[in-house]
Parts: sequence; structure tokens; C-alpha cells
Amino acid sequence: MSENRSSKRNCPIFCGLSGKDLSPQARYRCMCNSLFIVMLAITLIPLSITSGLNFFQYQQLVREDSRANARWNAESARATINAYLEKLEAAITVVIDTYSFEDLSDPKKLEQIFRQLKREHQGLVDLSIVGVDGIQTAYVGPYRLAGKDYSDSLWFHKALARRMYVSEVFTGFRNVPHFVVAASKKDPSSDRYWVIRASIDTETLDRFLALADTEALEDIFLINDSGILQSGSRYHGDALESFQLTRKPKQNDIVIFEEMRGNSSFYRAVSRIPNTPWLLVLDQQGAEARKIWHIFKGRLQLTLGLCFLASGGMVFWLSRFLAGKFREADETRDSILSETEHSNKLASIGRLAAGVAHEINNPLAIIAEKAGLMQDLVGLEQDFRHRAKFLDQLASLQNAVVRARTITHRLLGFARRMETSLTLVQLNAIVTEVLSFLEKDAAYRNIHIILQLQENLPVIRADHGQLQQVFLNVINNAIDAIRSDGEIHITSRRENQKTVMVAISDTGPGIAPDVLKHIFDPFFTTKGNEEKKGTGLGLSITYGIVQKMGGRIEVSSEVGVGTTFIITFPVYKEGSEEESNDRA
Amino acid sequence: MTAHRILIVDDELDFGTTLAERLELRGYAAKAVSGAQEAMGVLADNWRPDVVLLDLMMPGVDGLATLDLIKQHDPKIQVIILTGHGSTESGILGMQRGLFDYIMKPVDIGELIARINEAGAQ
Repeated sequence: MSENRSSKRNCPIFCGLSGKDLSPQARYRCMCNSLFIVMLAITLIPLSITSGLNFFQYQQLVREDSRANARWNAESARATINAYLEKLEAAITVVIDTYSFEDLSDPKKLEQIFRQLKREHQGLVDLSIVGVDGIQTAYVGPYRLAGKDYSDSLWFHKALARRMYVSEVFTGFRNVPHFVVAASKKDPSSDRYWVIRASIDTETLDRFLALADTEALEDIFLINDSGILQSGSRYHGDALESFQLTRKPKQNDIVIFEEMRGNSSFYRAVSRIPNTPWLLVLDQQGAEARKIWHIFKGRLQLTLGLCFLASGGMVFWLSRFLAGKFREADETRDSILSETEHSNKLASIGRLAAGVAHEINNPLAIIAEKAGLMQDLVGLEQDFRHRAKFLDQLASLQNAVVRARTITHRLLGFARRMETSLTLVQLNAIVTEVLSFLEKDAAYRNIHIILQLQENLPVIRADHGQLQQVFLNVINNAIDAIRSDGEIHITSRRENQKTVMVAISDTGPGIAPDVLKHIFDPFFTTKGNEEKKGTGLGLSITYGIVQKMGGRIEVSSEVGVGTTFIITFPVYKEGSEEESNDRA
Repeated sequence: MTAHRILIVDDELDFGTTLAERLELRGYAAKAVSGAQEAMGVLADNWRPDVVLLDLMMPGVDGLATLDLIKQHDPKIQVIILTGHGSTESGILGMQRGLFDYIMKPVDIGELIARINEAGAQ
């Protein structure tokens, strides 16, 4: 048992799947570990595959969602800026269609219109009228720009060429980044064009872009085709700084570029803003950077971890449980095989013993009769010189014959296993009877016999005489093992509904394991001294009797501690008589 | 007490003659033969034994068959089986055929004479 416990403690995680050339302990450890590994693999591999697939599927979904989200954010920002510009363009169109060049060249009128426009359009810095020669004829705003000449300005020419023009961001005479929305109109009286120009600061663009800010948004800004920032950027500087955009959309579509930055995906949405020189750039983190993704990943890892732990625990328990069951089954099988083998061995040896005994008996009888005749004749010859010596020698011869006869008769007894007469008997009564024969011997050797007999023990069906022989053999062996000064504990009790048992433990020297294996074998004896030479049949006969009565005898021993015999018999039940007879 | 006539039937003739000699030394009239045929010959010669000591395992006609022959010839002759090949079954079969006793070899002469006297007294 202690070996079992230590083997469980020392059980390695894996000791190979091959069980060849291993001790039984190591083989069961190996089986246990192999079962653990195989069952763990069977449990965890599908779980891992399913979890992995779920993980990647969900990652794809979240990435798709991120891509759609980037597109939606870009569209939203573009629409906001577009709406602002369209509204401003519409207002300017109304002004230019309503008023003439002369009307608007009136600073008071222009200021009145400017105030009206400023109320409705955030970021409007100033409003001016530029004549066809590029000279600013009227100006309303915070800068001193009246009379400035814009004949060399790109925006001026673009505005003349198109009816409405939104410029890139530039600093101009005021030296502050801004862009203009300019519209041109033909003066019917002079048949020449003039331009109305509204300047808007870049902070206005920043404000509109900031509306698109979300948790995942990294950066959003405007650039022109030359790579000059048209608005402030969180990571790339203020307006008019340079930024290298590697890929640009050709038309007004929103193009999404996906990049991997470490383990995270990153999306860049680029879109042209219609009727402007601007490209909207939106940088957004991928799914992996988003909170929902972290929550999902955390939950998945937690669930997977708990599943691994639970599976590991269950598989660990199950592998040990199954290995234990295999072991029990093997032990039961081995025990049955061993008992069958032992019974066969007993039967074979019994037949052999009977044959030998019979064959020896005849020559033994001739020796006995010849010696007897010699005794008779020498006895009649009173004058025979060596009469006394002859008679003495012949008596020794007869004694030897008697010894040999005792052995052959015992062998025959072993072979016959004696006839049985089954009656209902009380185990305690048998033990007490047997002790009455042995008590004197035990007392003489200072051996204390301690009885713990359970009262009202159920009766068993057995042969009274043979049962006496069983306990006589076992208790006698215990006394012989102790020799002197020791204890014998005899315990009887009901084991369960079906069996009763008697345990006989001695404080003798114990039996070595290699001897213990053969203890029930016929002719196996350890009583080697001349005084009390054993025949090696006592425990074999005991074994045979117990087995014949449907019982079981087991022995356990520890060298230096003592030996215990446990004899178990089935409890007698009415109706089980036929079964008992069959066994007898 | 009348000295009984004893017929010993045993294929081990050395055993039979030695035992017969010992019985004669004790005042019994004893003859030893080695098989059933000879035994029936002795009976036919009008030498009627009181007790027959019969071996069980003999070549040719075995002990139990010889027992039947003796009992057919004279049911009053008492037969004791004296064998080294004893078994409970053969003992029971013998008893069923009118056997007086069943003794295993080797036997003490005193014990044997006691059984012979018992049988002879029947």
C-alpha cells in the first residue's frame, strides 16, 4: 500500500506510451499518464481549434466593422465639410446674384452683408470684392487688405475661370493660413468680370474635422495634391506643413488602406472632397485597439483558461480513475488466474502424491513385514548372541517404516482432501474449541492470545472437523512463528451482508515476500529444524479446505512486524444449500 | 480361541509369504497366493480360510473382482482388503460387496491381528 501511495506521489507527467520492460507500478503510471495526455489532447484540441476559429472569425468581423467604421467616419467628415462649403457657396451665390459690383463696392453695404453671412457661417474671417484687374475694391474684415492687388494670385484666376472656386490653404498678404471661397460674375454694364471673395480660417476646418473624432480615431486632416497639410493634424503638424501621402484615390471614392502595425491593424481612409483641392485623410485604429475587442479577447481567454483548467482537472481525475479500474481488473484477473493455477497445481500434486504414496506403500509393507518376521524369529531365539542388538536395530527399522507410513498416509489425505460433512457452524465456537487444544502450548511459551470475537456472528455452512483443522493449522503456525514471548490477536467479525471473517495476527518475525508467494504451495515449508520438520502440506490443505467451503484465505506479512491471515467464509442463507453442496 | 485360517492374496508374493510366516508364528494357519486364480484354486482344494487378506491392485483380476469371486464361492468368508493403493471410493465399493474392513499398508501386526480376530469372530 505504501508503495502505491509513493508511486502516486512520484507519478511523472509523461513516461512514454510503451509499457514494455516496465515494472507493474511503472506500467500503470505510464498508462495513467498516457490516458491523461490522450484524453487531454482529445478534449483540448477541438476546444482550441473551435476557440481559434471563433477568435479569427470574430477578428475578421471586427476588422470588417473597423473598415466600415473608417469609411463611415470619412464619409461623415467629408459630408460635413461639403455641407459647410455648399452652404457658404450658396450664400455667396445669392449675394453675387442679388447685388451688383457697385452695390458691393460700397463698404457699408459689404459690411452689412458680411455681418449677415458671419452670423450664419462660422469661421468667416473677411469678405471682399476684387475687380477684374485684381485690385481689391472693397474689404470687410480684421486685416488691412483694402486696395491689395491679387492679379497674380492663383485663386483669383481660378475664380475668374470657374464661377465658384474653393482655394487651397495659403497665408497670403495677412500671413495667416486660410482659404478662400470665391465667385465671379460678369458685370452687365461693363461686360467685365469681378470677384467676391470670402476668407475662412483653417480652425474652421479643424473644428468640422474634430466632429468626426471617435475612440478609435487616431488622426483626421486635409491635404492637397502637393502634400501640404490644409488643416491641423494631431501627429503631422499644423496647416501648410508637408505630409507624404503614398496612395491617393483617383476619383471621389473613399479608399481604405489597411496596414498592420505590430499585432494591431490600422486603417487609413482617403477621399477627395468634391469641388475642392482637398483630400480628406482619416487614420483609425483597427479592431485590436478597440475596447470591445479587448473585452472579447479577455472573455475568450478567461473562458478558455477555465475550460482548460476544468478539462485538465476532470481528465486528471478520470485518467487516474480509469487506470485504477484497469489495475483493479488486472489484479482481479491475476488473482483468479493465480487461484486457478494454484488449484490446478494442488490437484496435480495431489494426484502425484497419491501415486507416489501408493507405490511406496507396497515396498514399505514388505520392509515392515520382513523386519517384523526378523523380530519374531530373533525374539524366539533366546540364545542368539546379538539378540538385543538385532531387536534394537529392527525396532529402529520399524520406527522408520512408521514414519514413512505417516508421510504416505498424510500425502493420501492431502490428495483426498478428506470427505466433507457440511453442517451449520459458528466460527467463534470453532475458534474457541481449537484454542482449548493450543492454550497450554501458548501459555508454556508465554504467548498471549487476545480474542476480539464479535457476538452473534452469523452461522456458516462448513465441515466442523475440517474447519477445526483450518484454525488449528493457522494458529499453530502463528505459535511456531513466535516461538516464545509474543501475542496472537484473533478477531472475528461480519464483513458485510454476505461474509464473515476471522483474522489471526501474530507478532512473529514475519515472512519475506519471496516466501509469502509460495506459502500455500504444497510441500513448501520453512520449518527446517530437526525437532519439528514441516511436511509443507498444512497450509495447502488449509487453503484447499477453505476454498472448498466457498471461502477465501489471504495472508499479509511484514518482516519484523508479524503476519496476518484473514479467512473469510460466506454467511449461510436458507435456500443457498444447493449452491453450497455444489461447491462442496 | 480357535486359530483362524488366513489366506493372503497379493501379487507381491514376497510380502504375502512373509506375512503368512509371521501369522503362523502366532499360531494361525496362513497361506499366501499371488492372484485370484490361485486363490480360487486354494478354495477349490477344500482349504477354506476364515479370513482373506486381499490386495486391491493386482494384474489380471483385481481385488474387487476377486472379492466377488470369493463371496460367490462362500459368502461367509470374511475379506479384509490390505492395500497400498487405497482410496475412499474403492473402500465404499468393497463395503457394498460385503467387505469386512479396509486397511492401508504398511500395517502394524498387532493391529492386523486384532482386525483378523474381529473378522474371524463373525
